Amino acid sequence: MDLQRLKPHLPWITLIVLVVFVGITDSNFLKPANLLELAGDIVPLFIMALGLTFAIYIGGIDLSAQSMANMITVVASVYLASLGLWVAVLCVLLGFGLGLLSGFVTTRLFVPSFISTLAVGGVCFSVAQWLSGNRALNMDAEQRNALFGWMIGRTGIIPNELFIAAGLLALCLFIERRTTLGRALKAVGAGEMAAAASGLNVTRYKMLAFAISGALAAVAGLLFSVKLSGGAPTIANGFLLPAIVAVLVGGTPLTGGVGGVLNTAIGTLIVAVIRASMLYFGVQATQQQMVFGLVLIAAIALTIDRSKLRTVK
Amino acid sequence: MKRLMTRENAIRWAPMLVLIGLVILFTAINPAFLSQRNFARIAIAAAPALMVAIGVTFIIVMGSIDLSMEGTVGLTAVLFCFAFLATGGTLAAGAWVAIPLILLLGALIGLVNGLVHVRLRIPSFMASLAIGFVGTGAAVLVTGGDIVKIDDDTFRALLTWRIAGFPLMIYVVAALALLAWFIQSHTTLGRNFYAVGGGEELAHASGLNVRRVRIMGFVLAGVFYAVAGILQVAKLGQAESVSGANFMFISITSVVVGGVALWGGIGGIWNTVVGVLIVNVINNGMVVIGLPDFLQDGMLGLLVILAVVLSTDRRSISFVK
Repeated sequence: MDLQRLKPHLPWITLIVLVVFVGITDSNFLKPANLLELAGDIVPLFIMALGLTFAIYIGGIDLSAQSMANMITVVASVYLASLGLWVAVLCVLLGFGLGLLSGFVTTRLFVPSFISTLAVGGVCFSVAQWLSGNRALNMDAEQRNALFGWMIGRTGIIPNELFIAAGLLALCLFIERRTTLGRALKAVGAGEMAAAASGLNVTRYKMLAFAISGALAAVAGLLFSVKLSGGAPTIANGFLLPAIVAVLVGGTPLTGGVGGVLNTAIGTLIVAVIRASMLYFGVQATQQQMVFGLVLIAAIALTIDRSKLRTVK
Repeated sequence: MKRLMTRENAIRWAPMLVLIGLVILFTAINPAFLSQRNFARIAIAAAPALMVAIGVTFIIVMGSIDLSMEGTVGLTAVLFCFAFLATGGTLAAGAWVAIPLILLLGALIGLVNGLVHVRLRIPSFMASLAIGFVGTGAAVLVTGGDIVKIDDDTFRALLTWRIAGFPLMIYVVAALALLAWFIQSHTTLGRNFYAVGGGEELAHASGLNVRRVRIMGFVLAGVFYAVAGILQVAKLGQAESVSGANFMFISITSVVVGGVALWGGIGGIWNTVVGVLIVNVINNGMVVIGLPDFLQDGMLGLLVILAVVLSTDRRSISFVK
């Protein structure tokens, strides 16, 4: 049993070890109600990580996800009154469109994705500040409950967010495993040169990957604003790091090609357990960033495929 | 005349022309822009940003990237305040010790950054992003989210003592920019940055210890971030964990807009100086002519895309990630 054969199984082994470890130290942790609440709370982060998976799967990165979610919380709060349920459509389209723009800038204008998405993130931040007038906005509680209340309620003891998460995961899994798009993304991630040489329209598929990432970041923002019943230009700050961590500890390396959305689901659960255990050990939310930064380095170092990087820049 | 219009010349002079054009444009809209007072204001706003941008220039010239500046600036600014207060609270009473101490800390953070990037073979943008998160987290940890104030007239003279209308810190920054230029152009290390950026495999094949050069680059960048942290404290008289906020976007935009190619090997300190001035003239000019300031990040975002597009030789690259 060498490390290479063990590697694909590391994420879920890590998860189980963590759960057992935390379960032993904190007897309340393993109660179903607690676990369900924990899972429900992490859903907006999970959706963002789900989108990020597509960008990372092709060997890129999307640093605009957080700004996108920020902007969407503002858009949702501002237009809920006038558009009603259609505001959801607007949000997803906006995310898809801006993601497409990131993809266009990356693939057609040859700007590396971490710069192009950073720039698009800047645009999102401007839009959010402009729309909100740099204030925290509130949704009309009655209207929110009538239109989007189903997102945050409970069915039995199960938070409804989990159904949304499961639905989106199934959709993404379908895209990844059962569609031409999914196969194409795998080819691009495994070897872009070879994919292009075998006649694949690499540009189009890469643009679509960024668009999916943008759209899911928008869904995450929408859900988050519904949860908080409002929005602000910096409200979702602090999402980006754990979202990237979730993708990477799940086993989708920065170099792309392997892993996928199911891995991200496991990765997000790992993040959730780490968070819960940190709270239990008295590490405050504001200090968790340091821990996640270190986890991130470890996760990249373990997962990255060095044979794909001739020179590490 | 035809030889003058080469790509190299266009890239070399375009940022300077853009800067002059912007100054003329803003002056035409509001003559108040072209005043010594306003220029001093721009210079003060630009001073810490210039230090960060110069630091990251060394890295970008090598073809790598450093995204750790927000955390490094935040942490050094906060710890500088603590060290300053612990060693007496005034420059005269021995608190000057805090300055070399914090520069050393900057170098140390840079060293960790470089080691993680080179030894663990992690792409620099991700390694430095993670280190940046750790830095911000550490800054929150030591401050507990509070603001640390420094109230020392001697130290604040960096901002309050004016020579020919410009505060002392501007002259400090100018001297450090000269130093950076000296390192870049007249030292082996500076030459080596260009060798690595121009073609890493070639540099390696000709016997250069590429890994060491890379680590040294990150150390040097860390020192400049620490300077920025100290200047940030001098400017505001206080520090908090978010003292480094927004430096990542501003500094990288500046470097790229100034004409330093993201691919490495092209451009240098002077491009960065011009780039920082362009970004700050735009920020200041937008306020002077009465545009709302929330447009700034969006404008800069579009500007950086434009700059990368213009400075990229599309024939020489096949694909980007």
